[in-house]
Amino acid sequence: MDRETLQRLQAGDQALFADLVRDHHRALIALAVPIVGHSEAEEVVQNAWLKAHRAIARFEGRAHIRTWLGRIVINEAKMQLRQRGREQLFADWQSADESGEALAERFSANGHWQLPPTQWDMDTPEGLLMRDDLANCLEELLNAMPANQRAVLELRDTTGFSFEDVCNELSLSASNARVILHRARSQLFKLVDHYEETGEC
Amino acid sequence: MLTCREIIDNADHLLDGTTSRRQRLAVKAHLLMCRHCRRYVRQLRALLRAVPFMYGKASDAEVSRVMAHLHSHRTVKH
Repeated sequence: MDRETLQRLQAGDQALFADLVRDHHRALIALAVPIVGHSEAEEVVQNAWLKAHRAIARFEGRAHIRTWLGRIVINEAKMQLRQRGREQLFADWQSADESGEALAERFSANGHWQLPPTQWDMDTPEGLLMRDDLANCLEELLNAMPANQRAVLELRDTTGFSFEDVCNELSLSASNARVILHRARSQLFKLVDHYEETGEC
Repeated sequence: MLTCREIIDNADHLLDGTTSRRQRLAVKAHLLMCRHCRRYVRQLRALLRAVPFMYGKASDAEVSRVMAHLHSHRTVKH
């Protein structure tokens, strides 16, 4: 976001604030889902927008705006959990072991590629995941992902938290978070690779 | 010499810039010789660049709902 846009936002430009909502709302909902669940994610993000609207004058523009908004959502989600008496995020939160590594079967026993990645069509890198049918495949995958994998992926890759901040926010050790992130990214990679090869999920 | 499997296991470290100099050199040496792993790293990098955009933009209805919520709270405050 450039300085002039930020200044207009901070001066109370409602149309610009609506643009901000348009650009980030869905990603923020996705961030709240693995923490509070589908049914409460919308309410959490609505409250987060309220806080962001009040606090935007204090946003200094050092972090990416998505990261700043993401932090408000995470705080709001944790507050919601506390209010519901659910301190523990999820029973399986710390466990990195319940699903294997998605690409394991692509390697031979000696650690070399048996089924190497296909060449992807990447005319526009940002558009890579935005084709409608692929978006549906992705949604299915993300909804089926263990909550801790989804949370780490959303925080690190969708919201832009530093790896260290991801560990702190989710109370994960660095080695555990690393394994969880790798598993989540491998699932995404495998899905896109398969889609690029076959045109199907 | 690192195997392809080890490259893939370390690719996240590599893209996050958290590898040691020694690890980086070992990965580079492997990538020079292995086109499959070069492709993997190049495509993973593109994938991670695309991830922040994967949810797309909110619809007019979604935006209106949020803005109405903001407005109702502002009205209550005054």
